[in-house]
Amino acid sequence: MNMQTGTAANMRNATGTQAPLIAFDRVMKVYGHGDAEVRALDGVSFEINRGEFVAIMGASGSGKSTTLNILGCLDVPSAGSYRFMGAAVETLDRAQRAMLRQRYLGFVFQGFNLLKRTTALENVELPMIYMGLSARERRKRAREALAKVGLADRENHSSSELSGGQQQRVAIARALVTNPAVILADEPTGNLDSQRSHEIMRLFSDLNQRLKITILLVTHEEDIAAYAPRHMRFKDGRIASDETRA
Amino acid sequence: MYWTIIQLSLRELRANKMRTILTALGIIIGVMAVIILVTLGNGFTAQITKEFEGIGQNLIFVSPDSNNGPNRARVVPFDMRDVDAIRRGVPGIEFVAPSNGSGGRVVYGNVNHDTVVIGSTNEYFKVRLWVFEMGREFTEGELAAGKPVCIIGKTVRDTLFGAQNPLGLKIRVENVSCEVIGLLAPKGQTTFGNDEDDRILMPLRTYQRRIVGNSDVATIQVAVANGQDAQAVIDGLRSLLRQRRSVPEGEPDNFSIDQVSAFLGEVQNVLGIMTMFVGAIAFVSLIVGGIGIMNIMLVSVTERTREIGIRLAIGAQQKDVLWQFLIEAMILGLLGGIAGIVIGLGLSVLITGLMGVPFIPSIGIIVFAAVFSALFGIVFGFFPALRASRLNPIEALRYE
Repeated sequence: MNMQTGTAANMRNATGTQAPLIAFDRVMKVYGHGDAEVRALDGVSFEINRGEFVAIMGASGSGKSTTLNILGCLDVPSAGSYRFMGAAVETLDRAQRAMLRQRYLGFVFQGFNLLKRTTALENVELPMIYMGLSARERRKRAREALAKVGLADRENHSSSELSGGQQQRVAIARALVTNPAVILADEPTGNLDSQRSHEIMRLFSDLNQRLKITILLVTHEEDIAAYAPRHMRFKDGRIASDETRA
Repeated sequence: MYWTIIQLSLRELRANKMRTILTALGIIIGVMAVIILVTLGNGFTAQITKEFEGIGQNLIFVSPDSNNGPNRARVVPFDMRDVDAIRRGVPGIEFVAPSNGSGGRVVYGNVNHDTVVIGSTNEYFKVRLWVFEMGREFTEGELAAGKPVCIIGKTVRDTLFGAQNPLGLKIRVENVSCEVIGLLAPKGQTTFGNDEDDRILMPLRTYQRRIVGNSDVATIQVAVANGQDAQAVIDGLRSLLRQRRSVPEGEPDNFSIDQVSAFLGEVQNVLGIMTMFVGAIAFVSLIVGGIGIMNIMLVSVTERTREIGIRLAIGAQQKDVLWQFLIEAMILGLLGGIAGIVIGLGLSVLITGLMGVPFIPSIGIIVFAAVFSALFGIVFGFFPALRASRLNPIEALRYE
């Protein structure tokens, strides 16, 4: 669409040089007006490069969810700039941002968010429907993605027939299947017991190390965040600390 | 892409069978009503047309009316001289059947039956297309002499004789003892509820002399010859009768001339208007059905807010979501329409069968119903679909 012609040059430039995949530049997000004004993000700047595995942490209300929404092109900054693959996201319209999500972003949610009464395979095919891929291509890629998360034998189970851990694996396969530049995971282990949580985290870790997929993980649990080498901590709409483990 | 969306919609509708059926019910009933009413209307029209053809479409009825002017109350009847004058003086005529008749009682043994007694000639059978089941017509001698013989319809036969062969048996008609010489083949009930077979015929002269005691002719039935212009015959009859009955120039006729085919046209017109009118009322129920679709689609959008959020988050465009709900509403309407057509046609077969009316489905109205029900789905599904496509993905994902 327009976005492709309008920002293709940006993107080519971004991939040609070693510009960061993600760049927040003094991003503000303000809700409400006047006395009721809430600054969810108050001038946040950071960069994330390709292949990184970053844990975004903080108490509720610290701004981490707002950051994730903006990173996922679901929301735009009130002020400041967010460059994703070189494109200034705040200048894009809804359709163009939807296109970015479709092509370059994968989402994994706390509540799994699979479609009900729909098989694992069909759930994984869903994003490719909107990309306009043929049924055969969708099926092939969905099978590969399910195999990557270890669910090759559960293709035709509907989401209600799968355990929580298995549902989250399907959701990860759905995020993987479009070969996105980034996977955004919002408390992906929040609804899982400790054993399943660690299985899921090992899967993320593996995807990051073997397939070099950039992963941004929002969590408030230290042992979950421990899988990520880089930890960004938010407090009151600002970054309190940003450390990368050696 | 669109095929995939159609599949998604079908799955959604299948998964919520009860809701789907209830939503489509308005459309189903509306379409069903339209189909049944139009099919029945067609059947009745065909039935009545056929009955008129049974009477004889090229038939003209001539009957005396009261005078206008000073002698207003007096009806001057026809007599056989008028009939002969018509036979001789009006071209383009095949048969002329004079008749007179009234209600009368027939008796056989200890069985009484009230029926219609008609005096006429053998032309009566020709103009009214009666066929004999058994026996014979009147002879010239019987007609000329006014002999006490009669020809009976099937209802009279069944009532008086049961299955017994009636030929040669004597019955009493009013005060006249009459020999049965013929039995008419049945025609059955008319749409208006008359029993065509409940009648008894005798020579006109017998009726005039023995039953009523005058020489009046009440009705003259004229069959137009094949290929002749009925209007020319009517004009000929009119000028002849005005002359014979001395109607002054400028005065209205003191008799009336009615053409069966003209009457048929009127009946068909009235039936057509009625069918359209009732069809329009049924159309209103289609609109109500459409509003039902809108209502349920709005509920469905709310119910599936989270699903819409997921779709938007993983890259669905607004127009993808819009199309999904629009196609779902269209399929809902179309399925309702098809179900309504099938049920409507089924019930039409049943009702027409029970009423003895021919089953004549109209392809036009079936196509119209299918197209309109799909169209209603789209029209009434548009607002809910628009609302779905405009949901904010962040809020939609958070929706419980």
